[in-house]
Amino acid sequence: MSEDLFIKPAQSKEFYATRDDKAPFFSADAVDGSEIRRIRLDEFKGKWLVLFFYPSDFTAV
Amino acid sequence: MTELAAVAAIYPNIKNIGAEVLAISTDSVHSHQVYKQTTPALHDLGFPLVSDRTHEISRSYRVLDSATGTAYRASFFISPDQVIHAKMIYPKAIGRNIPEHFRLLQALQYNKETGQAVPVDWMIR
Repeated sequence: MSEDLFIKPAQSKEFYATRDDKAPFFSADAVDGSEIRRIRLDEFKGKWLVLFFYPSDFTAV
Repeated sequence: MTELAAVAAIYPNIKNIGAEVLAISTDSVHSHQVYKQTTPALHDLGFPLVSDRTHEISRSYRVLDSATGTAYRASFFISPDQVIHAKMIYPKAIGRNIPEHFRLLQALQYNKETGQAVPVDWMIR
């Protein structure tokens, strides 16, 4: 599937994802095992996926 | 224990039901690397730490605290066809309930497979 089908924030400033919305596409660098690699949301098609946002590394909570 | 350490502890169960986790903060990949190296519970972390340096991901999921440039404590549950089925946003100072994340994943899978509703406090025995 093409990335064009995903609504990107740059294209629509008013759009914010919520329940029943298509998950907004992203790709970003990530630490995966001992590697740094580019991660794409669409790598995870076919699986249930949890996006676990957290404020910052090195916090007590 | 931190939230991430708690997710790391339950991750084998998550993987076992065929689900995955991406942890995302606005820290750099360098910060993520040092954090992993210096935190024993995260040495063998099985899931990626994503660096949202541009804030683009946090903004598009509406979980960016623009005052601090950090993401909220927020969890999104995305189906195999990449639709958001649930989200939870917690206060900054309050850690999430990680077993509930696992329960919700199991319940979402059960509901999708059977079409059955899932009652309050339902758990797979």
